[in-house]
Amino acid sequence: MTRADRSLLATVDPEIGAALGERALEIAHGAGVDSKIAAMLALGSIPIALGALATDVYGQAPSDVIDVLQFALLLEYLESDFYQRGINATGLVPPTDVTVFSTIGGHEAAHVIALQGLLNGKRMTPRARPAFDFTAKGSLAGFAFLPTQYATFTALAQAFEDTGVRAYKGQAPRLIADKPVLTAALSIHSVEARHASVVRRLRGKKGWITGSSRDDLPAFTQGIYDGEENSTQGGTSLTSIAAKVGGTEAASEAFDEPLTMAQVTAIITPFLA
Amino acid sequence: MGNTEELDMHVRDQRDEGNNHAGARVIEGNAVTTRRGFMRRVGIGGTLVMLPGVFSACQDGANTGGLTGPGTGGTITFDFAKGDIAVLQFAYALEQLEADFYSQVVANFAGSSFTAADQLVLTDIRNHEVIHREFLKAALGTNASFTVTATYGALNFRDRATVLATARTFEDLGVAAYNGAAQYLSDVNNLVLVGKIVSVEARHASAIRDLLVPQSSAFAPVAFDATDSPTKIAFAAQAFIEERLVFVNAPSAFAPSLNTSASAGGHANDAG
Repeated sequence: MTRADRSLLATVDPEIGAALGERALEIAHGAGVDSKIAAMLALGSIPIALGALATDVYGQAPSDVIDVLQFALLLEYLESDFYQRGINATGLVPPTDVTVFSTIGGHEAAHVIALQGLLNGKRMTPRARPAFDFTAKGSLAGFAFLPTQYATFTALAQAFEDTGVRAYKGQAPRLIADKPVLTAALSIHSVEARHASVVRRLRGKKGWITGSSRDDLPAFTQGIYDGEENSTQGGTSLTSIAAKVGGTEAASEAFDEPLTMAQVTAIITPFLA
Repeated sequence: MGNTEELDMHVRDQRDEGNNHAGARVIEGNAVTTRRGFMRRVGIGGTLVMLPGVFSACQDGANTGGLTGPGTGGTITFDFAKGDIAVLQFAYALEQLEADFYSQVVANFAGSSFTAADQLVLTDIRNHEVIHREFLKAALGTNASFTVTATYGALNFRDRATVLATARTFEDLGVAAYNGAAQYLSDVNNLVLVGKIVSVEARHASAIRDLLVPQSSAFAPVAFDATDSPTKIAFAAQAFIEERLVFVNAPSAFAPSLNTSASAGGHANDAG
């Protein structure tokens, strides 16, 4: 850790700060995290995570907030494991795309640490990291991050990022009374959207979702896109508004839609080993 | 009206200082060093105290005597005592700016240095921003009775690098604005609406940054996006708006981003 990190540690609860500091050191020494991700953590996320703790507020957190944080943590575990395995897989990610996926992986690992920190700050134990099955229970039979499977890897990346955006959005209402956690969640939510956009573009797609199209993703991912075709917002039909600027396709692109926790759970359950 | 903040002072600062550290002089409350201080600012249970206001977002006549440029026109006042309405009005002002910008970009494609792929992206974004603007106008109804006049100085709308750099500023600013203003919403439906828009702005920001510096980390330079207060956003946006933006009853409590170094109002987010 840098000197700045240590001085920041002094501003947080000693118990939490020590625990997080230990975790940061473990990660810095490569415990369970890819070296490239660890390097990115060293560049930025530890002070960020500590900053989250430093701004947390004592007191009993409503169960909604805890539930959302644990749910988000599961999604971030899924994503960070996925990218860690992808970056570590020899010959999978071509050199031109390594920076993009290393960057995303580093962010997901930072999100994990931040969410764990927020939960610790509320005196709650973060859920354990589960094992994942990236064949989605055989829907992607044989997928094992092999050099010939880059197209599947990027397709899954798109699926996870587009899911993440909708998942955070759907939980925002449950955070409305906890402004620090709401703001933290939103600052992750929009980064997931940046990820989604770059992955989609890397795959030759638009950065935004048109209608309820899953593009070239396999059929079992359709739940990630159902409902995105919505062209009525806040009771206002966008049909006439959009008539001269791209029509209903543009209207659907201009707004991302939320998913409920149940919908997201259905999407990610096949990936839980 | 003791807490009215006039933002034109900042425009003068920007001219004097070459646009460095926009918003650095803002007196806003995110320099919190203790938990206790933070609780004081956020308030118990996150309830924000709004003082009664005088104005809604309304527009006075120009007073310029021939001057032009940022902040020299009439006044647009945002009264945060209006709660959610003020937040949506502020969003409407920003979307007017974005929609105008991309409309001009698209109108200047002929003779520009944009590739065909660039033009597809920029046309899509123009469409989205116009839809955002018109949606907010419809949603606000009589509260949408003000018009933002955009000003870009000598910006060359046919120059790819210049336009994309300005687009990056607008998109990052939009993300930080929605992320930062969401905490002042009290209606969950409005919160979801803002969430639906902000992630599309983030998709735009990523695409624009990818066009500028492909295959790099520029699309998302930090793991946690900036979440700037409306005051800070207004200071940055004022540089592109003829009217003078004025806040009344701007909330002093502000829950900052996880990443206190990221700010779309400054330069921390401009890497790449």
